Order: sequence, then structure tokens, then C-alpha cells
Amino acid sequence: MSGEDPQERPEAIRNIINGLERYNPEAASTLEGYLQLQCEEKFCDCNANRALLKLYQLNPDRIKDEAITNILVKAMTQFPSPQFDLCMHLLSPSHSNPAPTSTSELAEAVSKLRALNSQLEGAQYDRFWATMDSDDLYADLTTDIAGFEEMIRVRIAQLISQAYREVDVAVLENWLGLDDEEEVKKFAVETCGWKVGADNLVQIPKNAENEAAKAEIREDVNIDMFARVIKRSWEETA
Amino acid sequence: MSSFQNGSAPIRALEDDSDVEEGLLAAEYKEQVQFQDDGMDDFEPSNSMSMAQQPDDIQARLAQAAQPLDFSAPLEIKFQSYDAYCSLFHYILNSEGPVDLEPPSYYWAWDVIDEFIYQFNSFSSYRARIARQGTSQEEILMLRENPNTWGCYSVLNVLYSLIQKSQITEQLGAMKRGEEPMAVAGEYGNKNLYKMLGYFSIIGLLRVHCLLGDFSLALKTLDDIELNKKAMFARVMAAHFTTYYYVGFSYMMMRRYGDAIRMFSHILVYVSRTKNFQKSAQYDSITKKNEQMYALIAICQAFQPTRLDDTIHTALREKYGDQLLKLQRGGPESLPIYEELFKTACPKFISPVPPNFDSPEDNVDPIDHHLAVFMDEVKTNMWNPTVKSYLRLYTTMDLKKLAGFLEVQPEELRSWLLVNKQRTKQLRWTDNGLLDGELVNASDLDYAMQGDLIHISEAKVGRKLVDWYLRNLSRTYA
Repeated sequence: MSGEDPQERPEAIRNIINGLERYNPEAASTLEGYLQLQCEEKFCDCNANRALLKLYQLNPDRIKDEAITNILVKAMTQFPSPQFDLCMHLLSPSHSNPAPTSTSELAEAVSKLRALNSQLEGAQYDRFWATMDSDDLYADLTTDIAGFEEMIRVRIAQLISQAYREVDVAVLENWLGLDDEEEVKKFAVETCGWKVGADNLVQIPKNAENEAAKAEIREDVNIDMFARVIKRSWEETA
Repeated sequence: MSSFQNGSAPIRALEDDSDVEEGLLAAEYKEQVQFQDDGMDDFEPSNSMSMAQQPDDIQARLAQAAQPLDFSAPLEIKFQSYDAYCSLFHYILNSEGPVDLEPPSYYWAWDVIDEFIYQFNSFSSYRARIARQGTSQEEILMLRENPNTWGCYSVLNVLYSLIQKSQITEQLGAMKRGEEPMAVAGEYGNKNLYKMLGYFSIIGLLRVHCLLGDFSLALKTLDDIELNKKAMFARVMAAHFTTYYYVGFSYMMMRRYGDAIRMFSHILVYVSRTKNFQKSAQYDSITKKNEQMYALIAICQAFQPTRLDDTIHTALREKYGDQLLKLQRGGPESLPIYEELFKTACPKFISPVPPNFDSPEDNVDPIDHHLAVFMDEVKTNMWNPTVKSYLRLYTTMDLKKLAGFLEVQPEELRSWLLVNKQRTKQLRWTDNGLLDGELVNASDLDYAMQGDLIHISEAKVGRKLVDWYLRNLSRTYA
């Protein structure tokens, strides 16, 4: 699962999340510091971040709203993956499913991020960028995460390359949330290493995913499967 | 209180996971009531002293700890039961050196941990319900005054302490390497009592983490236990069964549907094969979980169609045939079926902290919370069956033309195609810890887009003959 156990994880954090220290409310501040580091250094350790959410779950008085939203945004950058949902499951129901009367700012932020994540998970990339532009709150929520938009864009491009051999520049423009065709072409060539063809089609090099090669699935047969029969026939003749 | 005292068999006996025969159950139940009456007057929270002072009836108390508490027992009894557990565990964990006791039976340790967690679970659910209803002032007052009774930290503390004291992790590690576990068991872990309690506490943790919605930690907890028929838990049917249910459920929540199906199938096949050898009371007690796992297989099967074991396949069609058909058709009509099956088959999720008694409407049922998050993923995937069923008909297809057939915008169809394609890559367990696995292609249908042209390839599946051959062979012999 992507973003689960990054190499960047320091020894101290490893000790916390793999031991009983993960239940010590005092460990929250260390994990919060580590989250901050992830936001700045552009890597993601969802496993450690869930340990922090767990501490919040057990000690609601320790909750820091911006840590929760930053964890969710970080998890979102791993799409498509269960990371965001796994974080959601650790939130209090009052944050994720607030009563209609709720005025909690955190609940509102969580519901916005959840909608955003659904668009990424549902491969509705054009809508994702439109949503980002629709409200300043989204910029506020993602401001702590260095390079957020770029990370999303690169991830989308990667996913496209796993499904497409050729893609229209206009489609790409919507999906990558870029302003005009020139920028799209630049991104395609410089960041992704793709080629732009004459008829405004971007060519994506062959890879294992975008080939859709034919295959035949055959049954693996091994001797263990017959162990019972053989044993039985042995016993009956003996 | 009166209904509790009139000595009939506990209502919960049927749906309970424990291993005890009914006659025994009823007899000891009377003993338990007797004890609780005696203990009523000198009721002191978390008092460990009484234990040490009455070594004579320690065997009785060990037996009592494994007894199911009446489902409708009043709050006082639930509080008392908590204190009884605290003092028992305190005695076992904090006496000078290991206590010299043999567990009453080989399944006793499982029963104790099982009942301990069951009571924690039902207490938390009950407390949340009282808070949501906001009517029973007397009970609210009592719950408010005792926020730490059946607290999550104490339950976790007991389980982790038993694991640590017994050095069961070290023992299991040694067993895995083929070494003698006793060499690393320490003075506590050498004793059967500690070893068994420690072992089943690991399974207990799996369950508690799952109840709290921490599915990856739940699976991580089992790192040291190898899931196979030789595992210690396999000796106790209820433990065997529970372990596979929670592991399978956690896999499902991590979107590892293939692994989830493998878990559910394994245990359901096992149950169906041993059904005739099981004591009837024991078999009844697992019937409900049995049904639940079939419902979960239906869900997983809809996410990721998999070839099932024939026994499972037949039973699934009998029990959930209609629902499965609707799930496999996908679209918005399938959503209520997902919700219905999830709700009947999920664990009784709890919140680890006391509810907010001041504003009842703020207390959302944790089941609804987890269901809502799960439904996000369901909704994202609900067009996959449609996409697949059309693509199977062609080798190449124009996207706009297909969009016309489906009466959707091309943009929408592009998203559906991407989602379906992305979800065919799944993590599947091969070796080592339950969380490990390698990415595999989980579908026989693959495709790639060239502009608006969809190239489709379908993997041909050769006939599976081994199972068929073996079954017919045994039929011929018999």
C-alpha cells in the first residue's frame, strides 16, 4: 500500500508505532512534529499518522484540528488507495458524520476533504480541480502540504500512463488542471517524458499496464492437492 | 434485577462464542448469581485485595470469569463484572511471581478473553445507546460518574499486559524459527495459564482494534501468529472462527477483497466439513457468524468476482442469491443492498470514549460512521460491473459510441474506465505478515485506451479440473 512505510521514517518514530509508546498521550507531540516534517519534505507515512489519529481517538482533549486535516490531505495524495478511508475510520463519528445542527469547523473541513477525495478516487480529475478552485477553504486546507497540487498532478499523470497509449491534449488539460495546451505539452514532455504527436495526441510509452496483453490463466496443479487421495489409497491397500 | 435472578439459562447463550455446554452453563450460572449477591454489599471499584484473601474459591472465580453475563443485566451488575475482571487480572498479573494455577480447561483462557471483550463491547454499545436516547436519567448519572469503568485504556492494558507477561510474542517467534518456545518463555510464560491467556489476548487485540475501526493495526497484531490448522487457536473452535471473521473483515475494509474471501472461505469450508462432529450447542453458537460471513463474501464477491469453492458457492446462492445478483449488477440500485448486508454482518463497532451525555443528537452510532465511509468506496465502484459487462462483448470499441449505449457523457465514461482499471490491481497475501502482499491483477479483463479507442483483452481461463476430479473420485470410492 503506497505511503505506508516510507524509508524516511526515523528510528524514534519506528519505536513509537511498533511499541506500547503508541498509546502514550505524550507521544502525540512527537508524531505531530513528524507530520509537520512529512508536509515539508513531501513524503508520506500514513502508518505513523494513523498512530496519531489513534491517540486522538483515545484522548479527544488532545485533538489538533489542523493535524487531522493535514493527515487527511496527506492520505489523499496516495490515491487511489484505502489510506484516506483508513484515516476516516479512526475519526470520531461526530467529525465525519456530524448532526445537522453541528457547527464544528473540523467537521466542515473533513466533509470538504472527503468530497475532494471521492473525486480523486472516482477518477473525476476535472471535477477535482474545479472543486479546488471553487472555494478558498480548499487552499487553506492544503496550504501546509508543500507541493500538494504538483503531487496530485504527477500522480494523475502516472495513473493515466497505466491506462492510455495515446491521450488527447484537451482531455489531459482538464485532468491535469493546467491553464492551456502549451502548459500541458510542457508538463507531458518535461515531467512525464511523453511525446506530443502532430494531431494534438500525446503518446505514452508502452508499459506493462497500458498494453492489455492477452493471457491465459491455467490451473496450477501440485502434488499436495492429491495428498488425501494418495494417503487414502495407501491406507486402504495396506 | 429480578429477571436476572430467576435462574433461567442466560439469554445470550445462543449467540455467544464460548465453548461451554449448556447444562454446565446453567449450573455455573446459578453459582455466578449466588456470588454476585454476596458481593453486592462490599462492592468496591477495582479492589484487588479480596482476591488474595480468598485463595480457596479462586478456581470458582476462574470459572466464573469465563461465564457469559446476561445480556439484560442491569448496570450495577455490569460494573461489578468489570471490577471482578480487574481484580482477577490484577491478581494474575501483579502477584509476587507467577500464580500457581492450572486453567480449568484448555479452552478456559479463550472463554475468559472472549467474554471480557464481549462485555466491554456490549457495555460501550449500551452506554452509547443510553446517551443517544437521553431518557434514563438514573443510568446517565451512573455512567457519568464512572467514566473509566470498562474504559478502553484499561481493556487494552489488560490485553497488552497479558501478552507481555507471558512473553508469548517471543515464544511464537521461537516456534516460527523451529526452536523450543519454553527457552524464551520466562517464568510466567512457562505456565500454561499465562501462555494461554497471552496467546488469546493477541486474538482479543485483533478484535478490539477492529471494533475501534483500526483495521490495519488489527492485522498487524497477528504478525506472530501463523494462520493455519496447526495454530493454537485452531484447537478452540470459537477462537478459530472468530479469528478468521475479524481477519477477513479487516481485509475487506482495506479493500483486499481476494484475501478477505480466502479467509471467509477457509473457515466456512472448515465448519461445513466438521459440522457433524461439533457438539450441537457449539454449532448453534456459530451459526449467526456463519451467516454474517456469507453476507461479507457476497459483498467482496461483488467488488471482485472470484471463483469460489463449490460448497461456498452453493451456500452463498442459497442464502444471498437475490442480493448477490443485485450487487453484481451494480449501479445505484445496489447501494441499499450493500448497506443492508454490511449492517447485518459487521462487528458491533464502538467508540473508545464515553459519549456526550449533554447533547444526545451528537452521538452518532459508530456503525453508521463506518458504514458511511465504506459506502464512499462502494459508490466509487458502483459502475464497474456495467463497464465490465459491456467491454466483454468487444475487442475494440469507440469510447463515444459506448457512452452513447450507456447514455452517459464521454467524460463520465472515461472516469468509470479509469476507476475499473485501477481497481483491478490488488494487494494479495503471499507470505509473511497479514499486511504484506504483492500487487496482482485481480481481473480477467484488461484494456487500454488509445485516444477514444478502447482495446480490450480478456484472459482465457482454462478449466479447473483438479477439484472436479477429486470430488468424483471420492464419490466413486464411497
